[in-house]
Amino acid sequence: MTADSPAAAAPRYDDEIVKKFLLATFIWGVVGMLVGAILALQLAWWPANLGLPWTTFGRLRPLHTNAVIFAFTANGLFTGIYYSMQRLLKTRMFNDTLSNIHFWGWQAIIVSAAITLPLGMSQTHEYAELIWPIDLAIAVVWVLFAVNFFGTIAVRKVKHLYVAIWFYMSMVITITVLHVVNNLAMPATLTRSYPVFSGMTDALVQWWYGHNAVGFLLTTPMLGLMYYFLPKAAERPVYSYRLSIIHFWALVFLYIWAGPHHLLYSGLPDWAQTLGMIFSVVLIAPSWGGMLNGLLTLRGAWDRLRSDAVLKFFVVGITFYGMSTFEGPMMSIRAVNALSHYTDWTIGHVHSGALGWVGMSLFAVGYYLVPRLWKRPLHNEGWATAHFWLATIGIVLYVVAMWVSGITQGLMWRAIDDVGQLQYPNFVDTVIKLVPFYWIRLGGGLMYLSGLVLMLVNIGLTIAGSRPDQAINPSPAPAK
Amino acid sequence: MSREKQDVPMGHSDEADGIEEYDNALPAWWLGLFYFTIAWAVVYGVHYHFVAGRSQAGDYVAEVQAAEARWPAPDPATVAAADPKVLAEAGKAIYMTNCIGCHGPELKGGIGPNLTDAEWIHGGSLAEITTVITNGVPEKGMLTWGPILGPEKVAQVAAFIHAAGGGQ
Repeated sequence: MTADSPAAAAPRYDDEIVKKFLLATFIWGVVGMLVGAILALQLAWWPANLGLPWTTFGRLRPLHTNAVIFAFTANGLFTGIYYSMQRLLKTRMFNDTLSNIHFWGWQAIIVSAAITLPLGMSQTHEYAELIWPIDLAIAVVWVLFAVNFFGTIAVRKVKHLYVAIWFYMSMVITITVLHVVNNLAMPATLTRSYPVFSGMTDALVQWWYGHNAVGFLLTTPMLGLMYYFLPKAAERPVYSYRLSIIHFWALVFLYIWAGPHHLLYSGLPDWAQTLGMIFSVVLIAPSWGGMLNGLLTLRGAWDRLRSDAVLKFFVVGITFYGMSTFEGPMMSIRAVNALSHYTDWTIGHVHSGALGWVGMSLFAVGYYLVPRLWKRPLHNEGWATAHFWLATIGIVLYVVAMWVSGITQGLMWRAIDDVGQLQYPNFVDTVIKLVPFYWIRLGGGLMYLSGLVLMLVNIGLTIAGSRPDQAINPSPAPAK
Repeated sequence: MSREKQDVPMGHSDEADGIEEYDNALPAWWLGLFYFTIAWAVVYGVHYHFVAGRSQAGDYVAEVQAAEARWPAPDPATVAAADPKVLAEAGKAIYMTNCIGCHGPELKGGIGPNLTDAEWIHGGSLAEITTVITNGVPEKGMLTWGPILGPEKVAQVAAFIHAAGGGQ
């Protein structure tokens, strides 16, 4: 450890852990999105289910969602958090052993998920499918990470906590509570358990968890990464400190209430449905506060968008964040939800968040970090730009196909003929109409996936040392 | 707010890995949007529950009443009195769309049983045929057609099968 004297040399940060998490992020990203592409193919062309229980849609779908949320996104968050918090707090991580237990423990959890889900072992709670022994392991590893995280904050060498750290804290605390409460269960056998909540209470707890997993895993810590990596990459000051405080507190206060919007027109009491709906609508401005602070920070740096892949990815990511945080509240309105619920519109919405906001932002973080961590320029900048266009066009195809498909589906389900009967009483009539959009979705998804593969190859060749002679200056040493 | 100076650095950068921050005012339209949604939330909640007195169950009842007023259920007496030939004529098209897959274009059966022979598993009277179509035979894979087709179309297709298949 370094002395407290400001004249001391730059603290030696633990960048090895960041490298490990970064590689895990993009390798798992390819796996998760490949499974997604297989699912998209299965919906367009059913023989792709292969007639085997382990490869059917119902078992691969949770594998896809868990891989993208807990393997790709979470590893990406850990990458950015371990890199930025050491620098923002001017200290090495509190304990290297905890960092490594966190890394290897998390990867072991992912592998166990990839084995148990295709075998059909499931708690049948969406995004919380994993069976109780794995849930227990998640809780232990997460709490060890929390100890390391708050330990690092405790031994920090700065007084002021930069805004990114608050966003990270909101994740560490809230995900602990959400995960533990939603997975409370009485084990019956090693692979089976009964939830302590039942019926409507279980559904409400589940969507309190499900919605806030979106809020506190896919949103607030991603905003934290944006608050660190965007001003660093753009070399511009953050637009407004005050806006960051207000939108942070508004976001964390409001998000927690919005879960019931997943249960509109269900057995949930009307008042609880109303709460879920109005808190969702009030979330628009706090969400847009993050978008505004991101985009306005780029004032004076827009010309660099032409050449800088990191900024390109961030701008599209932040724009998708603004779009999906407007779309989400709209879909929470009772009348809109009556049309959109259970349709492909929802699938389009989550992918504009996951591919558009989370994916694009993590690609930005990745392209920012690789040259700095391995201290050599990226193997091929042109490939990064190609990745950007593949990903952007891929998302647009995906999201537009799902909008059209979802609205078509919703309208066909409710269509009434001139004698008051359902116009499409046979479900298969609606499915046949949607198949062309499923092929377009598959095309968009494959473009997005191929861009990520290109990125992984680019990272591999950079590490292999294709351009080792041109060492670049890593992140600047802390001032003074 | 307009008198505030724009883009004044706060001087935190040495405590944030070199990241400088401005403390610019909140954009007025953003703040307006935030206040508007909060006001809307209160007004909507109070209006929905206490002024309009709406509820999910109430909305359902109102919708069903509106549908019944617009599409009154056919009078059972009229349906019964209708000419079986006219009914069967209309029923043919329904059969060809919905039933042909299992019972075949000639009603000779396939996945489902033959409807032209003398054997009627569930009874061959018009009333019995109507009941089978309405409730289906789920254990054998025949759909419950009542809610899909509605009573009028069920009556038509039953009349068609009764006539064309030689029911009892």
